[in-house]
Amino acid sequence: MNRPKHKYVSLCSLLLFVAIFSCKHSEGEYHSITDKIEAESKNFHGTSISSEQYLEGIQTIQVTEGKHSFLIPERKSKIKSFACKECHTKSLSELKGADTIKKAHWDIRLAHANLHTMNCITCHNGDDMDHLSSLTGTRIDFNRSYKLCSQCHNEQFEDWKGGAHGKKVAGWAPPRASMTCVNCHNPHKPGFEKKWPARFNTQKVKERE
Amino acid sequence: MSDSTKKWFSLNLTKKRKENTKVCGCGKTSGGCIPNNQNQISNAEFDAAVDAAIGDERKKDGFDQVFDVKMDRRTAFRKLTASLVIGAGAVSTSCSLTTGDHAKEKAQIDWEEQFKGNYKLMTDQEKKATVDRLVRSYQLRKGQNISMSSKNAEKDVLFGYAFNISKCQGYMDCVNACVEENNQDRNSQMQYIRIHEMKDGKGFKFDEADDNYYHEVPAEGHFYMGTQCFHCDNPPCVEVCPVQATWREEDGLVVVDYDWCVGCRYCMAACPYDGRRFNWSTPEVPENEINKNQHYLGNRMRKKGVMEKCTFCVQRSRAGQNPACVEACPTGARIFGNLLDPNSTIRWVLNHKKVFRLKEDLGTEPKFWYFMD
Repeated sequence: MNRPKHKYVSLCSLLLFVAIFSCKHSEGEYHSITDKIEAESKNFHGTSISSEQYLEGIQTIQVTEGKHSFLIPERKSKIKSFACKECHTKSLSELKGADTIKKAHWDIRLAHANLHTMNCITCHNGDDMDHLSSLTGTRIDFNRSYKLCSQCHNEQFEDWKGGAHGKKVAGWAPPRASMTCVNCHNPHKPGFEKKWPARFNTQKVKERE
Repeated sequence: MSDSTKKWFSLNLTKKRKENTKVCGCGKTSGGCIPNNQNQISNAEFDAAVDAAIGDERKKDGFDQVFDVKMDRRTAFRKLTASLVIGAGAVSTSCSLTTGDHAKEKAQIDWEEQFKGNYKLMTDQEKKATVDRLVRSYQLRKGQNISMSSKNAEKDVLFGYAFNISKCQGYMDCVNACVEENNQDRNSQMQYIRIHEMKDGKGFKFDEADDNYYHEVPAEGHFYMGTQCFHCDNPPCVEVCPVQATWREEDGLVVVDYDWCVGCRYCMAACPYDGRRFNWSTPEVPENEINKNQHYLGNRMRKKGVMEKCTFCVQRSRAGQNPACVEACPTGARIFGNLLDPNSTIRWVLNHKKVFRLKEDLGTEPKFWYFMD
């Protein structure tokens, strides 16, 4: 009668021993890196490191979309011939009539979707060239052109807001700053061109001969 | 001993008496009146001594280096005396009253550097002292000023990295930026990062992938992915190091003390990701291309016979900046940040994208995740 009980107790204590001391790496108390991240970030109160100094000299504007808030580069001052009104004094239909004037923007060929889907007026409003225009005709500021892109590219927009899409500016430390769509993609021709890689390792070739 | 907290004996060559600064009869303010180079071992002599000691080993490798040596009594004696010459040279330079201040300072620095401990065990003052010595030594040798940091890991920071396979186009701008930032040897064209060109539909097949392509990219029917040191949380390279010259810092960076490394390359063999590189020759970087913003554990100049690897640009990341590869990537495929910050972009990626790591089953826990759009 006494013996099985004894066995039971020792088995239990063995189990307890295993439960306490197994599943732990020698150097830490977590089973996996995800556990570690979760546990150690529970009481996160920020760090003293800032990336503010690396943003010096870059004009930025604050974007707040949903629960995300971050900086993007200011755009209007980078557009060579902004404000557009300086040339577009009259509405586009009036300007178009006169064939005698040299054509402007002759170098822009739209290579973005196809003509069934997009043309100039999908984004521009001939009567108000200083602003962009949404699909429903509301005004969009040139600084916030991402609102225009996000009408179709909503998945990219979600990734961009979260931080999975788009190049980061300055540093990893707060404040967060990111490129906006038009910093990398030419809106009239958004695809990336092929190019030669920046480097070729001739030593590697020799070593592998 | 200079002070009681020091862990080794100091020479105290440069802390000399005030009267030494008086102008001497020959008009010199430093050293003695005898021509300077008499007792000092010259560079050529030093090189010759080194050559006599290890000349053959430079050309041979592995088995040959140890066993293929004809060692008669004369060569054995020659080797012994050569080593003595090196030691005696240092001592004669440092003890002589006739050598210049700079030579003495150099000898003093070399002495202290020779006997300093493992960086991992140093106090903050000791870290600062060695960094100051290295900066001064560089100034004395090259006449150039560098800045070197010994900044420790910050609390509540754990660095992590994410790589978007759908975005990488194989341009290799990251590799170039990395080489320039981290002062990697230009002679052997060392690079920490490898970009692999993989065939669509074949998955990750490293044996069939090409990591040294040269044609217009992205090539039709291929995708690209990069590998580098993954800064494992359970790093096998650290386990195997016989002298503990490599370890994981509090912020997750796996680093190397280049002055403690003995060059056994166990870590290189233990790394399942080909993350480590070895200096088979003295690394050479043109003086005007040297990145002078350095960290002791990062991009300071290495020596022949030591290991090195990606440190997530510790000199940049500990200062809040993104690593050079992240900054150089034109596609935004590289994401870097603090894993402990719930609002960081890296955390958003881990929580919202389908992420995976290489050879996850090994239990190395790399802090480098891949994902797709």
